[in-house]
Amino acid sequence: MTLSCTEQQRTTCSVGGMYTALAIEKFLPIMHCGPGCYANVSCTLGTMNGGQSPETYNNSIVPSTNFCEDDVVFGGVDRLHALVGECIKYYDSDLYLIIDGCTAEIVGDDLEEVANAFQSEEKPIIYTSLPGFKGNSVWGHGEVLASIVDQYMKPAADIDPLQVNIFGIVPYFDPHWSATLDRLEELLIYLGLKPNIIYGRNRGKKNIDKIPAAGFNLVLAPWTDLALAEKLKEKFGTPYLHFDNQPIGPTETAKFIRRICKYANLGELKAETYIKKEEDRYYYYLRRSYPWIYSCKNFPREFVVNASAAAAVSVSRFAVNDLGMIPKRIYVTDGIPEEYQPGVEAMLRDVEYDGDFEVIFTEDGGLFEDSLKYEDLTIRKLCVFGSSWELVPTTKEKLPFVPVTTPLGDFMLGSKTYFGYEGGLTFMADLYSDAANKVIDVQI
Amino acid sequence: MAVNLDWKVIPAREQRLGSITGYDGTLRDMAEQGCNGCLQDKRRDFQTASSCAHCHLINQLAGLQGTAVVDHAPIGCVGSQVFFSSGRARIEPPPGAPPMENVRILTTGINEPDTIFGALDKLRDSVRLAYERHHPREIYITTSCTSAVIGEDCESVAEEMTHELGIPVIVGTGEGLRSKIWASGFDAYCHAASLARLKGKEVTPKDKKRNTISYVGFAPTGRKYIAPLFERIGLDLVCLTAGSSIEDFQRAAESVATWGQCGAQSSYLCGVLEKEFGVKYFQSHLPYGGIGFERFFRDVARYVGREEDAEAVLAEERAKYLPKIEKLLPRLKGTRVLVAMGASFAYEYTRMLGELGMIPIHTVAYHYDPKLDNLYEEEKVAAATDVFELKLDVPTSVNDAQQQETNLITKQLNPDLVLSRAHEAGVMAQLQGRPALDAQIGLIVMGYRGLYRFAVLAHEALQTNNMVRHLGARYVTPFTPEYENLEPFQFYREEAI
Repeated sequence: MTLSCTEQQRTTCSVGGMYTALAIEKFLPIMHCGPGCYANVSCTLGTMNGGQSPETYNNSIVPSTNFCEDDVVFGGVDRLHALVGECIKYYDSDLYLIIDGCTAEIVGDDLEEVANAFQSEEKPIIYTSLPGFKGNSVWGHGEVLASIVDQYMKPAADIDPLQVNIFGIVPYFDPHWSATLDRLEELLIYLGLKPNIIYGRNRGKKNIDKIPAAGFNLVLAPWTDLALAEKLKEKFGTPYLHFDNQPIGPTETAKFIRRICKYANLGELKAETYIKKEEDRYYYYLRRSYPWIYSCKNFPREFVVNASAAAAVSVSRFAVNDLGMIPKRIYVTDGIPEEYQPGVEAMLRDVEYDGDFEVIFTEDGGLFEDSLKYEDLTIRKLCVFGSSWELVPTTKEKLPFVPVTTPLGDFMLGSKTYFGYEGGLTFMADLYSDAANKVIDVQI
Repeated sequence: MAVNLDWKVIPAREQRLGSITGYDGTLRDMAEQGCNGCLQDKRRDFQTASSCAHCHLINQLAGLQGTAVVDHAPIGCVGSQVFFSSGRARIEPPPGAPPMENVRILTTGINEPDTIFGALDKLRDSVRLAYERHHPREIYITTSCTSAVIGEDCESVAEEMTHELGIPVIVGTGEGLRSKIWASGFDAYCHAASLARLKGKEVTPKDKKRNTISYVGFAPTGRKYIAPLFERIGLDLVCLTAGSSIEDFQRAAESVATWGQCGAQSSYLCGVLEKEFGVKYFQSHLPYGGIGFERFFRDVARYVGREEDAEAVLAEERAKYLPKIEKLLPRLKGTRVLVAMGASFAYEYTRMLGELGMIPIHTVAYHYDPKLDNLYEEEKVAAATDVFELKLDVPTSVNDAQQQETNLITKQLNPDLVLSRAHEAGVMAQLQGRPALDAQIGLIVMGYRGLYRFAVLAHEALQTNNMVRHLGARYVTPFTPEYENLEPFQFYREEAI
């Protein structure tokens, strides 16, 4: 991956991949990194991401060798070895993941050697090299999952055709990951499947152990975890269904439900009953707000997205297909490998709108704020879907704004998600509420 | 090793000031050892991630008005800056100034080939982009672990770009691996900002100083309460904080006196003002709480010959706030408190607790400086001053936000309240059901008003513990019984260095 000069990042470096481990209950990352690497990762993926903190191991107790100048000269393997030994004694963990950062990688400290020294321990210890100069946190996430598969997973004795492993949602990098997975799990159970999720509450190692037994894998994202799904297909023969976004609102959610039911041969009746019931509810609430929405003069239909591919596809589908909005420009900021870019662009253009709009692949989150210098916002404002970095310019220019991507912002996320029918209403309420404070005039 | 604007690379605090991150004992012992130059550091072989100099170098530089920062590092080394950008945007701007913008921080994004072939061309292009995009009045290039390990000559690029762009392009050296003390990054900020904004400046001669006093800190929050107090002794307040302009630095250099929010963040810049421009640095008495404020304000007033006016101010402040504080004392009195904070404020709050009748049972400082950057040897760091002047003593320990260590002390001592600031010592306590309070620092804590404000917050924290109590009832330890049964200070393993 080529990284060039950027500002206002929406990813961290690859060390952020450790948040994938932190999202798995009792999975302890052990850092062989500089003293500040965790703080950098946790600000973007945690604190400033809707005020999230990891469970089981919160911010203040993640072990690290705090790689220092002496280690550059003498190597840090001995200190790492000592730290791993202490971690096994002191942390109640099911799995351990040793990671390194830039400096340990440059001086050539051998993680595999340290991990192998502890193979007689009853708890599995795996390792992943995550030097920040190799990629961003999405890349790091992929490396961590690949290490789990390569170093830990064994084929299953039996396959459960109804079990579906959920991938594609990158925990913390997708700020709404936790509540989204909960809602998705409920939906899939209702439809008759047995969803297997590794991230979040009460899941953990036992669900990792179940991965090879799945009937199929679901990748619910434009591009993330597709490589993992291929790996699992190769290693365990598990087929996968790729649905290109986390559905928000009625159009995409119905499409998703029909698609997965067809793929898993679940029959139409249950799906259609569910869709009918939820659509009725969605449009009931929409109608209740509609007179107010109609009176929202000056609500800008045009929008710009400055976000991850996952957020960009989900949000622009809903905004265009269900809210009747118009895409103007979409910055995709997660450093997508070149081979995936044409596919993601096609996904972004797969909306019910014939006009032209720009799709820009960049990790330079600052391009959007810079572009405002050249916008004429005197006649019409713009809606903006981005990150915490967009808060200041959208406040200054009075642009309706909904944070949708990491770092989401300095506020409490709680259990919010934009997933599904309910998520669509939540998104719409967030958007119109912000617009009402900035541009909407119902009196004049 | 005091301040020195000829340094290309500013030494880490461990070397420059003899600062430490490992100690357990008493404040008196630590202060005496520090004053005698024999304080030794301790290391751990079980430690958790803390923070680094690099992060704090950048957040301070980028906080200034009219700057852009180009971080010569892999992309992740600026990961924490969104936090500081967001916080800065909420600072009330000085009268007449525009609202705060996002910080302007670009990163060269050093990648794998760059670690082999170098990335100075990328650095040049990034500096040019920073200039074109933001038109700053100065640009700082910050170095990182990776740029240092691969041997990048950022200094030569800075010189080249200074000529090309016609604005100061200055290197800030803040590699995270060079210091265990993140405050080393504050020093690097002070050094770089001094090079850009102060070095070689023509200022008023020492005997014709302007009637200003400068404050070095994170933010100007609270200025509106404090500036009027200084006006009474004939001094205008200049803030060298987030949002400060180049002109503010010029005014600071012309000031009569300066002080800092704490030794950690402010010492080096105050030291520069004193050494280079004859601005008197008041650092042995910090102005927090009633005792601290009275000593500090009298020191300053004596220096500018306005002692009578100062006494009037102090009397008014006492009359305004002491009766209100008095009403809160019955609930506060006797409360046993564990403090965990940065180097200066840990001991400032330790003293303030005593003023409110609360009992500091242990104080954790995230590092300790045995000395600071004042010109005169006899001036002690504030904590040591208290030991000698007030006979203040408290069981104390030093760790760089090693909360698994602080947690063991908390469990052993069972305080009624944990008082912390940042780095989540209080979070650990609250998850286990203990009352805790995240304290504030800076101008907002100054004087009797600050003491009253703290008393109100502490009083509230002790009034009800309902949410925390419920949390505590559901606490599941992430540790093993072996950890939970440890005595504090078990993690020192290596020989003292």
